[in-house]
Amino acid sequence: MLQKPRNRGRSSGQAERDRDWSHGGNPGASRAGEDARVLRDGFAEEAPSTSRGPGASQGSQGPSPQGARRAQAAPAVGPRSQKQLELKVSELVQFLLIKDQKKIPIKRADILKHVIGDYKDIFPDLFKRAAERLQYVFGYKLVELEPKSNTYILINTLEPVEEDAEMRGDQGTPTTGLLMIVLGLIFMKGNTIKETEVWDFLRRLGVYPTKKHLIFGDPKKLITEDFVRQRYLEYRRIPHTDPVDYEFQWGPRTNLETSKMKVLKFVAKVHNQDPKDWPAQYCEALADEENRARPQPSGPAPSS
Amino acid sequence: MQGSTRRMGVMTDVHRRFLQLLMTHGVLEEWDVKRLQRHCYKVHDRNATVDKLEDFINNINSVLESLYIEIKRGVTEDDGRPIYALVNLATTSISKMATDFAENELDLFRKALELIIDSETGFASSTNILNLVDQLKGKKMRKKEAEQVLQKYVQNKWLIEKEGEFTLHGRAILEMEQYIRETYPDAVKICNICHSLLIQGQSCETCGIRMHLPCVAKYFQSNAEPRCPHCNDYWPHEIPKVFDPEKERESGVLKSNKKALRSRQH
Repeated sequence: MLQKPRNRGRSSGQAERDRDWSHGGNPGASRAGEDARVLRDGFAEEAPSTSRGPGASQGSQGPSPQGARRAQAAPAVGPRSQKQLELKVSELVQFLLIKDQKKIPIKRADILKHVIGDYKDIFPDLFKRAAERLQYVFGYKLVELEPKSNTYILINTLEPVEEDAEMRGDQGTPTTGLLMIVLGLIFMKGNTIKETEVWDFLRRLGVYPTKKHLIFGDPKKLITEDFVRQRYLEYRRIPHTDPVDYEFQWGPRTNLETSKMKVLKFVAKVHNQDPKDWPAQYCEALADEENRARPQPSGPAPSS
Repeated sequence: MQGSTRRMGVMTDVHRRFLQLLMTHGVLEEWDVKRLQRHCYKVHDRNATVDKLEDFINNINSVLESLYIEIKRGVTEDDGRPIYALVNLATTSISKMATDFAENELDLFRKALELIIDSETGFASSTNILNLVDQLKGKKMRKKEAEQVLQKYVQNKWLIEKEGEFTLHGRAILEMEQYIRETYPDAVKICNICHSLLIQGQSCETCGIRMHLPCVAKYFQSNAEPRCPHCNDYWPHEIPKVFDPEKERESGVLKSNKKALRSRQH
């Protein structure tokens, strides 16, 4: 006979939850309520928001006046406890780590909806704390993809090392090789290149837009869709072309994660030459390095 | 945590790289964890003496404390291998899973979980799980699809499959023990020796107490006449061997065979 999980009966669970509150139990909604929502945990992309702050409303987060929200707040109203703040920061950190693992830039709106919820008033503070923890604990820098874009990515401050690949539990990105080649092509051709030129080059390496590749799977989809969605590449239609042609440029993530100099060094290595053998590109890369060395505006300050 | 007297450790790039790479695994065996640790020292601090793993991990955990996550050590239920996973301390729901699976897939897992917990052996048959496909929340799922979802759970190390039956992977137990004990308090089985959640194990035929296989191995080690710790009756089952990491590494050839076997089980 199947034992019904106890938390289906909210009243019986309530005392238990309150008791466990001191144990690092999460206040508010998370343990209560329907199992599906508990399982979804507010991190799933399509799920309605399940802010787990105190007094979180079950189900959708409609806009509500400040007063009404406060009135809904569970027992300890007023300043939130240290623990509540820490838990919120923890959720935010994990949310960002998980989202970034999929290389999807994280929208501020999603953060607010799925994690912050009722804590919206202290969002900048939570964000700052999360960024600090991500840097100190994990070695990831939280940066805005482009100024005022309100989307964020994590940059690894640790340099990847060849042997890391053996130590990983996931595939890492075997497609990184292909990406580097395309980035190299774009840079060497003056920062912009036509799609037809890309395929002319890749064909020589045995990579075709229409043929399934052993390692890369669907190269056309990878280059024109996946890398674009991940913001490594920009893919624009060239007007007035017949047949229609597109052009590629570096996307905002590329500029954050790598540099012209690094890409030039990669190209040089592939050709077994020195970066200086391409004087024009080398100059450009140097200028780019100088630009980067100049102090940048600090931090991922969210425009609130 | 507030008022904690534990001195907070210090993170260096060695620890950060370790944490980053550890996170790419859902769960990792101790020997591989040690390898990972050595790799991280090699990258950042060649000359330093490698910390004892326990201290290394305790150091990281003291920093992770404020984030309510920790690197938890457990032991596989079938052969007593030590394993590690990064687990959530604050929530009792299956949050990590929630990002990779749809609502109906999560519900399928929950159904399987309930069957596993209720079973005598700790295993639920594929047939029994698939028969519940009509009761799933969310989008309608056909049995064929459900079979694939179950395989996805096996690949992601939430379930183990053995001859058409499913049980919980050590990873799932590490991550969800708290959740399971709170959600199914009357149905869960507990080990008489270590008092942790028990899914697979041996039980006394007289008084019914249960023990994990590795706990049995340790408790009855070099005991010619094993007796139930509770009712003192003769213990009728075969006593497994205690897991010996040294023996594992010596038998290099055997290990690669075992690995093939393990990858099916784990």
